[in-house]
Amino acid sequence: MKYLNKPILEINKLLKEKVIKPLDLVEEAFANIEKNKALNAYITLNKEEAIKTAKELENKEVDNILFGLPIAIKDNIITKDLRTTCASHMLENFLPIYDATVVKKIKAKNMIIIGKTNMDEFAMGSSSRTSYFGAPKNPWNTNKISGGSSGGSAVTVAARDVFLALGSDTGGSIRQPASYCGIVGMKPTYGRVSRYGLVAFASSFDQIGPLTKNVYENALLLNAIVGKDDNDLTSADKESEDFTRLIGKDIKGMKFALPNYFMSDIVSQEIKEKIISVSKILEKLGAKVDYVDVKYLENAVTLYQIIAMGEASSNLARYDGIRFGYSLPNPTSIDNLYYETRKTGFGKEVKRRIMVGSYLLSGENAKIYYNKALSIRDDMQKEFTNLFQKYDLVIGPTTTTTAYDLTDPMDDPLKSFLDDVLVIPVNMAGLPGMNVPIGFSKDNMPIGMHIIGNKFEEAKMYQLASCIEKELNLALTPGGEINE
Amino acid sequence: MNKYIPTIGIEVHVELKTATKIFSNSINGYGQMANSLTNVVDLGYPGTLPTLNKEVINLAIKAATVLNCKIRKEMHFDRKNYFYPDIPKNYQITQNETPIGYDGYVEITINGEKKKIEIEEMHIEEDTCKSTHRSSKTLLDFNRAGVPLIEIVTKPCISSGEEAKLYLEKLRELLYYCDISDCKIEEGSMRADANVSIRKNEQDPLGTKCEIKNIGSISNVAISIDKEIKNQIELIENNKQIKQQTKRYDDKLGKNILMRTKETGNDYRYFPEPDIPYVILTEDMIASVVKTIPMLPDERRKVYQAKGVSELNANKLVQNRSLSDYFNKLLDTNINFKIASNILLGDIQAYLNKNEKQISDTTLTVTRFEELVKNVEDKTLTSKNLKDILVTVLEEESSISTIIKKSGIENIQDDQALRTIINSIISSNQETVNDYKNGHDRAIKFFMGQIMKETKGSANPKLAMDILLEELKK
Repeated sequence: MKYLNKPILEINKLLKEKVIKPLDLVEEAFANIEKNKALNAYITLNKEEAIKTAKELENKEVDNILFGLPIAIKDNIITKDLRTTCASHMLENFLPIYDATVVKKIKAKNMIIIGKTNMDEFAMGSSSRTSYFGAPKNPWNTNKISGGSSGGSAVTVAARDVFLALGSDTGGSIRQPASYCGIVGMKPTYGRVSRYGLVAFASSFDQIGPLTKNVYENALLLNAIVGKDDNDLTSADKESEDFTRLIGKDIKGMKFALPNYFMSDIVSQEIKEKIISVSKILEKLGAKVDYVDVKYLENAVTLYQIIAMGEASSNLARYDGIRFGYSLPNPTSIDNLYYETRKTGFGKEVKRRIMVGSYLLSGENAKIYYNKALSIRDDMQKEFTNLFQKYDLVIGPTTTTTAYDLTDPMDDPLKSFLDDVLVIPVNMAGLPGMNVPIGFSKDNMPIGMHIIGNKFEEAKMYQLASCIEKELNLALTPGGEINE
Repeated sequence: MNKYIPTIGIEVHVELKTATKIFSNSINGYGQMANSLTNVVDLGYPGTLPTLNKEVINLAIKAATVLNCKIRKEMHFDRKNYFYPDIPKNYQITQNETPIGYDGYVEITINGEKKKIEIEEMHIEEDTCKSTHRSSKTLLDFNRAGVPLIEIVTKPCISSGEEAKLYLEKLRELLYYCDISDCKIEEGSMRADANVSIRKNEQDPLGTKCEIKNIGSISNVAISIDKEIKNQIELIENNKQIKQQTKRYDDKLGKNILMRTKETGNDYRYFPEPDIPYVILTEDMIASVVKTIPMLPDERRKVYQAKGVSELNANKLVQNRSLSDYFNKLLDTNINFKIASNILLGDIQAYLNKNEKQISDTTLTVTRFEELVKNVEDKTLTSKNLKDILVTVLEEESSISTIIKKSGIENIQDDQALRTIINSIISSNQETVNDYKNGHDRAIKFFMGQIMKETKGSANPKLAMDILLEELKK
């Protein structure tokens, strides 16, 4: 009997009635992962500990909707006593001595951590191919990329190994793989979820968020991980709220903005057509969709790269071989230790970004590039703030194409620009953004819609996403299996 | 020598006296087992983030206020990026663009004249870890990593080692009195670097500077600066070029030792720290901190002297903060402050030093001290009496009058009674009176001896002497 494909409310009921035990779910998850081993979704499995925890939970009361559910965690989120590698040789053997705030919250809900998912090295990439452990594969077509950097989390949910996962999004790293893999992925408002224990890539963008098979479960998982954290000064002091509260509510009278740039030539024709057909459905349901011009969208990637690489060059300076991580054996001098540890420990893309970032902050460059980018970021935020005075949400495609081949070249700058061009403005403005699947391409690869909300308006985004989900009623299991 | 004008700027790092570190909740302590006061934040573990200790901001506001600085209301932190084993994240969180204090000064008195040593800026930052070099190995102790510091930077406006010394003494006194830092140079909680250059004329641009780092005591700051000035003059006189160098002062050799010659400026790749939001200070926040600033040393000296305390004693009191704080509690009473300061700095301080005690460890309440001073002033107690009963006064709680009574001290206060005794002694020792009149000083000693014998030592010696001389003149 399979349970993990059932709706969460049903699983919860079965657990409560003791028809099933958390161990059944854990064993099923590991069987799924074993079956889908070739997808390379995981870097480390937490088998022993997960089984132990599942058994311990048998004596506990099922006190919340997430109780006993297996969850996958991206491998840049720190887990105590569970290897956390960031998909890097540098941290290949790194065994953390503390838990990230989100991990504490997950554990407090008695969820069970199944394993640590594959990703781009230090979350730097859009296809998860910069992983030291090899790229994960797209369950819809194993010759295709999963997207990234939260590729493993997207893959394991899409393949229905488990139906809940955490990822992180610095420049689209939750939404883009969610789109490529046909699942729901939310990057919450910057500050919504504590970053304490998320290995920093670009501090002013990084944000943890949920990846799930459907909208309702996504909102439930977000409920569990948000909140002000005294360990993270950038976490927002917001009252707790139920993100599912608007799910199923009518969208009649709502106004959506569709930026012209998101529908320009950079986006493939079949994706645009899908977006248009969805917007027609929305209008049919009584909502209004306006095509609008939004300033700075075309500059977002460039500005993002300046800030993100600058911050990354500093954030990754701590990997020096002295206190943790890979260390050159028998160094001849401190400089020798630094050079060789970092040369061997980091992969090519990470080193490229550190070098570019260091250059961007060097001497007068910080003023010319970094500070200027920060100031235009403020302008972008204002632009969105103005937009949200007139519109409830902004919509558009999440990606310009569907998932491409794993063998496509990795050093094509135009391609990597296009990978993130639609998702990055959201990070620049600190807004929440999510992907919801809206259909398939001719070659049966998932297409996603990008929903952008005003700050702290995730609930409204879930409202629209659930409406689309219900209207389209897509069969979203790879290989043509139909959801029960 | 006089042909050259030395220009000196001083940078001082002061460790703040907070309970915990600046960016984590680790204990801020000194002298503990290596690496026992650390946590994942201090060690720069992956995923960790800084928090911000509000106490640090409060102490920095205090410091900025007593250094007469302007206080920035909106500030942020910056990252200073460089690779060195003593900085766990390989960047230091500091304030580069928006130092909390700027445009301040400290007033010193040199050769009887007042001079303002101008403060360019003071900012908040984290301390590095302590490295100890052992043959080919370096040992790292992260207890100090993340200890809060303020760095105080003067303008290049100091012109001699002596001025530098006076400035540092003044700075130390201010920070110590405000409980900002314990300012122990030997424990590294106060560290000074001096930038020294010389030029021939005021109009000339500043000469090439040398930096002398981490000087181990205030007096060595003066010595090392003066040596550096001398050295630079010699170089110029011998037509040699001054190189921009970093040196350290070696106390044993009495010399400045070259550490490195700077070739290019450092590139620290500063940028605003994204993990710490802007800090906004309101007038109310500043006012509530300023309220906690105690009476400052200069003010104390002034007040004490106005109350009749000698300059010497006023200075001595200020040098001992606990005595000075104690003395301040007396200021509202109307005792004789000259006598009070003498007693406090004399027998009482001797007792405290001998027993390694603070005045607060004794039983001497303000009320009892007041009584004690009055008894000395009205001559109930002689200085010898005071010495006799001091331990009882400081260790027991009964009133001074009770102690006096118990100890059997009853000075003959009554002039008339004493005068009668003295006159009787004079009349029965006519020969000695003649000796006195012939200029033999020992006659006085004899008479005093007799008086003390007759009164069993209870006569007030000064009073007895006064009456004796008066009667002898008759």
